[in-house]
Amino acid sequence: MALIECRQLTKTYRKGESTIKPLDRLDLDVEQGSFLALMGPSGSGKTTLLNLIAGIDHPTSGSLTIDGQNIAKLSRSKLAAWRSDNVGYVFQLYNLVPVLTAYENVELPMLLHPISRKERHERVATALSLVGLADRHDHYPRQLSGGQEQRVAIARAIVTDPAILVADEPTGDLDKPSALAVMDLLTRLNQELGKTLIMVTHDAQTAEYANRTLHLDKGRLADDSVQAAFSGETATTQGAAS
Amino acid sequence: MISLRYWPFVLKQVWRHRVRTLLTVAGVATAMYLFVAIQAMQRGVAEATEASAADTTLVVYREDRFCPFTSRLPEYYLPQIERIDGVTSAVPVRVVVNNCRASLDVVTFRGVPDERFADTIGRDANITSGTLEGWQRRSDAALLGETLAARRGLKVGDQFDAAGITAYVAGIITSDQPQDQNVAYVHLDYLQQQTDKKLGTVTQFNVKVDDPAKLEQVAAEIDALFDAAEQPTTTRSEKAFVAQVAGDMIELIGFTRYLGWGCLIAVLALVGNAIVLSVQDRIKEHAILQTLGYSGALIGRLIVTEAVVLGVLGGLVGAAGALATIRLTRVSFSVDGLSIPIDADLHLLATGLLIAVTLGVLAGLVPAIQAARRPIATCFRAV
Repeated sequence: MALIECRQLTKTYRKGESTIKPLDRLDLDVEQGSFLALMGPSGSGKTTLLNLIAGIDHPTSGSLTIDGQNIAKLSRSKLAAWRSDNVGYVFQLYNLVPVLTAYENVELPMLLHPISRKERHERVATALSLVGLADRHDHYPRQLSGGQEQRVAIARAIVTDPAILVADEPTGDLDKPSALAVMDLLTRLNQELGKTLIMVTHDAQTAEYANRTLHLDKGRLADDSVQAAFSGETATTQGAAS
Repeated sequence: MISLRYWPFVLKQVWRHRVRTLLTVAGVATAMYLFVAIQAMQRGVAEATEASAADTTLVVYREDRFCPFTSRLPEYYLPQIERIDGVTSAVPVRVVVNNCRASLDVVTFRGVPDERFADTIGRDANITSGTLEGWQRRSDAALLGETLAARRGLKVGDQFDAAGITAYVAGIITSDQPQDQNVAYVHLDYLQQQTDKKLGTVTQFNVKVDDPAKLEQVAAEIDALFDAAEQPTTTRSEKAFVAQVAGDMIELIGFTRYLGWGCLIAVLALVGNAIVLSVQDRIKEHAILQTLGYSGALIGRLIVTEAVVLGVLGGLVGAAGALATIRLTRVSFSVDGLSIPIDADLHLLATGLLIAVTLGVLAGLVPAIQAARRPIATCFRAV
């Protein structure tokens, strides 16, 4: 059974008089431990799909089952608790809290878990070490480079050890060396820690890190390519959904 | 409320937005300072004028007179008053004030006969410095209320002048009676000679009654006794007397209660404004927290807690400042020689803090509910 199963997943918004449908009856399976890249033009529904999988938005219709649980039916409070346990989110613009240090930012999701202060400290320190920023723990976001901020954001996303990592254009605001470092880190998290990674990107080179790339267009699946990791071999299934 | 592990996060938000915190706390502190000062005045009025079941003192004054300069009664009324059934003691008192108008620094001289001093002061009054014998030995000796002594920095052995009278400080008294706070008790004959150059005239008689229930009856009998005399009297309980003589001042102080309410509204508006602006500034931050798994309800509680912290900080600074000022300056309103003390204690400080907490909750509630209900995706689209 796939870790993530979308069935007839639809999302519509009201915008003034008109109705916008960023996702239209999408069917999709994502296996545990896979690295999925979502591509497509602006407005194709990539971020909407990412947000639905991350549990920060509700679908209008259809089902979204993750690890056997249909999260489309969860209440807002239960969905928040589910996010806390299962998902780490990496934003394009890092979205660190500016008045908190790197350590305190990474600690934020851990506050939701009733564990001892010592254990919390250990896990935050481990997460910061994993992203190579143990020595910057007391720096504020304004004292860090863009690449370092994004690595703090990744530490924050993984500190609770979630099964799923979602990343919305994680290298979109970075220079090339920083982008490479961030992608290497995300790939390690996927390959070494077995995190299921779903990433929105506009950049084909960045998408090559993934072992599967989905192209969305007008809320529907336009192309589904499965790559042998880093080999350049690609198998494409037009309109397929698994 | 929130779990203890979230408190550091809230306190960091307060501490690291220093300008906002400082401005809000300063505003709240100013309003709470005024509120506590006004409450202290209101309480002073209540203490000075509200009758209690234990009141047993009557004041006999010249009819249709409201000022110690114009109330003149012959001292020979004394034995007639003492003969009335229910009267346990009567003390002729000559009152001289250095300032007959409303003032914050009034010295009220009360001339009383040596042998009747014990009947004059309140039951709980004590001489804390100096002795009664020391007062009795010197004709110009005075026993000062502790508020007056503290305000003027007087101690036993000092001499002071007021209203053209020079007196020697023979002792300091403490008393729970408001009218004993700004008073200088001197010998009756000394005061009569200093002011009138003759004996035999007093301002009032302070009459003790054996049963509080008899106050009205005894007052009526005294007034009936002198109804046809050259100097007719009006007799009231001491607190009713204060309430009437200082009526204008009390009305003015009563009006300040509306200023007090205004202060509370100002606190509500200040904290509310700070929190609303803060929440608007941090829409994205709250969306991030929700993305991390914070529920809307938890975010709402964090916001309310922050508002309470701001309110309590401001309330503590303002209320403690007011308490310290009142305690240090020991001011009291006086009119026609009667004192309305401004008194604040820890109970008033606690009341101020409780109000600050309540206002903090109220001020944070609406923005907290708005933030709690805002969907994450909408927050990210809004910034």
